[in-house]
Amino acid sequence: MKMKRWKSKMRKIGNHANENENKQESASQDSTNQFSDEFILNLEVVRKEIGHNSDVHFREFIIGHTGIQASIIFVEGLSDKDLIDKHIMTSLMADFSIEYQQEQPDVKESLSNQFIKNQVLSISDVEEVHSIKELASKVLTGSTALLIDGLSHAFILGTTKLKTRTIEEPVSEALVRGPRVGFTESLSDNTSLLRGNGETENLSLVKFQVGKRSKKDLVVAYINEIVDPELVQEVEKRIKKIDVDNVPESGYVEQLIEDNYLSPFPQVQNTERPDRVMAALMEGRVAILLDGTPFALIAPVTFSMMLQSPEDYYERWIPGTFIRFLRYIAVVLALFTPAVYIAFISFHPGMIPTKLAISIIGTKSGVPFPALIEALFMEIAIEILREAGLRLPKPIGPAMGIVGGLIIGEAAVQAGIVSPILVIVVALTAISSFSIPQYSVGITLRILRFAAMLCAAILGLYGVVLFFLFMMSHLVKLKSFGVPYMSPAVPYRLSEWKDLMVRMPLMMMKRRPKMMHTKDPLRKG
Amino acid sequence: MKGRGKMIISPKDTITTPQTAVIVINFTLGTGILTLPRTSVEKVHTPDVWLTVILGGLIAMMAGIIMVKLSLQFPEKTVYQYSQEIIGKWGGSLLSLLIVGYFLTTSGFQIRSLTEVTKYLLLEGTPTWAIIMPFMWVGLYLIVGGINPITRLFEIVLPITVVIFLMVTFMSFKIFEVDNLRPVLGEGIIPILKGVKTTSLAYTGPEIMLLLVAFMKEPSKAVKATLGGIFMALIFYMITVVMVLGALSVDGVVTRTWPTLDLIRSFELTGLIFERFDSLLLVVWMMQMFTIFTMAHYAAALGLAQLFKKSIHPFIYGVIPIIYLISMTPKNINDVFKLGNMVGTLALFLFGLLPLPLLIVAKWRGGKQ
Repeated sequence: MKMKRWKSKMRKIGNHANENENKQESASQDSTNQFSDEFILNLEVVRKEIGHNSDVHFREFIIGHTGIQASIIFVEGLSDKDLIDKHIMTSLMADFSIEYQQEQPDVKESLSNQFIKNQVLSISDVEEVHSIKELASKVLTGSTALLIDGLSHAFILGTTKLKTRTIEEPVSEALVRGPRVGFTESLSDNTSLLRGNGETENLSLVKFQVGKRSKKDLVVAYINEIVDPELVQEVEKRIKKIDVDNVPESGYVEQLIEDNYLSPFPQVQNTERPDRVMAALMEGRVAILLDGTPFALIAPVTFSMMLQSPEDYYERWIPGTFIRFLRYIAVVLALFTPAVYIAFISFHPGMIPTKLAISIIGTKSGVPFPALIEALFMEIAIEILREAGLRLPKPIGPAMGIVGGLIIGEAAVQAGIVSPILVIVVALTAISSFSIPQYSVGITLRILRFAAMLCAAILGLYGVVLFFLFMMSHLVKLKSFGVPYMSPAVPYRLSEWKDLMVRMPLMMMKRRPKMMHTKDPLRKG
Repeated sequence: MKGRGKMIISPKDTITTPQTAVIVINFTLGTGILTLPRTSVEKVHTPDVWLTVILGGLIAMMAGIIMVKLSLQFPEKTVYQYSQEIIGKWGGSLLSLLIVGYFLTTSGFQIRSLTEVTKYLLLEGTPTWAIIMPFMWVGLYLIVGGINPITRLFEIVLPITVVIFLMVTFMSFKIFEVDNLRPVLGEGIIPILKGVKTTSLAYTGPEIMLLLVAFMKEPSKAVKATLGGIFMALIFYMITVVMVLGALSVDGVVTRTWPTLDLIRSFELTGLIFERFDSLLLVVWMMQMFTIFTMAHYAAALGLAQLFKKSIHPFIYGVIPIIYLISMTPKNINDVFKLGNMVGTLALFLFGLLPLPLLIVAKWRGGKQ
């Protein structure tokens, strides 16, 4: 009992002391957070707040011939030095004296902020701040702060200069025909790319901030006259829920807003192409652009979208349809070829056509491994090759792929470890999986192929069928922002099949996808 | 009671008219594709079996219309709910339990005949449980999602079935001989009538409408959907019976357990990449069996859920062991077919004879009110 009382007493005392400290602290904070009339003091406080950073520059000077002290504060590299020199320093130091002497003979009294703002600073973005915290955060994002003796506030001058690269052709989505324009890392560049892409009046760009510690701008784009307002609400709701301290890339956003994180299928599309984003917006979808990454997100998506390329629409409809058909075949090949190979070789050799069976078994007779091990060996080898080719410096990458693939394949056959027909199977699946326009779906298919191979190794053709049914069961249950992932294939919407496996002539596709519940169902024209 | 129906079937869970038709087709086509030529020829003994198939289809259509009309008397209610309104609480519950039992037995029977075919052709020596269990797991994964994912999967499976089935059966034109189908009506009409019971049993499937009408977005089109579904099944059966009989002849069919599979195995087309097509046919047939199994499983679980007025999920898991036990009961292939006959007789009683008196009583009561 005694101990307890004593402890609580101690705590009380401690609390008291803390409270006092807190009070003092907050009092001192108040005093430091506001500007005083003393120029030197102000400067000192600001120096304390951010001056320990080596890239923050303090430039003290005297305004014209007035004798008034002033100082600008900016961050080296983030601010545009040209702008500072020409439009701040020059107008304050050189031009100021001439104009000023002509109009205002009495110098000190009438140095109002209105005058400075309206007549001296020839810069578009000028703002007054009253707290030092605010000043610090603005300066650290590239603005220049101007402190003048006698004023109890500071000017923030928009001199931010972001280092951006020039607009280039997107690396991850190459097209033969189509605009050679890709997004960059700068959000303002990207939104201007969208604005410049046509429909400017109805394009809504709503800004959000994500990230707790490192705040980043995020823009939700949609076309007001088309999009379903409920979809926008849902997207905004999910974005507001994002609660992480840093969002380095839009992949973070994607993973934090997707419907089912256990699914191997991507439920949000990413793209570097403004034309693709624009086409999606026109269908009533929503795009999400994040500062600092060239990858925009499109939601909701369907499985069929993942197999489409903008080029399908740029080419005439017959080649477009043909290429689309090829992709669907490629998906089936990429998923099932090795599995079917394993099933037939190790379970149902009797079901292979006789002549083919003889030739396969002839070449496979020397191979010491069961079909699964053989296929796994080759598939894993080719996956490693792919990964290695990706990480290597650009000039070596492709060479490495060819040499590695050829040599390993050839040598493995020569050594009798794998049968030649398996090399064909593996090559076929690899090519097929690379022909899918969306990189993330290609990876998904490659992962699922291994699952299919295991099923085939356990239950043969029956296992492959079960795997197919399982995958389909998953796909029909999956939704992306309320839109069934397999639509418009199922539920049957015959009118939308014009743009599913085939790509019908443009004049036949007059309606927007029904699943998007668009306000305006008709495409104009 | 009224609110209850909506609680279990959430208002979002509606299906369209084409979807309903797809379910009827998928739920009808099953073991029959592989066995109908034999079972019907065994009864008829003449090449006129295809007429019997048409007759069976017409009977199924009639039964289907009666069942739909009955369900239409009670909007947004399944048979499990409205049967109690027609014949009282106890009678209705008993009937519902019988229907649940029917669906359980159906799904057990379908899964077992799938196992028999798989063991016969694909996985010799694999234990029965090893074939049944993964199938049930996959089915379970689908069913938990509710009626909408089930329907969408059916919609994916159906076109694949149609394309591959037609391709494979028409390949057998090479050994097709019209003489095997002659003479038409050589022995009069009597033999045809003998087989009607067998062929109409091949059309068990429209009974799912007793539940589906409650889910339909436009119940007024239920009759259309049912007829469309049965008609498609009729075409499938016609093609099967005609092609199999034409190739294997009456005497050849009777001796084969799975005549359709034997037909596909009996020819090789040289010059194509695939020269044998039995694997393709098996693949689509397995998918068809999956659709029947999942639908019956779901229907049984839904029945129990509505009977006990509880959520459906525990029942979905709960009926799994029962279905498994039913599927493991038959000792050999003959027992499997006996089980099939039993299911058929039950269906004949439950869905062939019973709905008409129920409809009359319902109309009479409705008129009185």
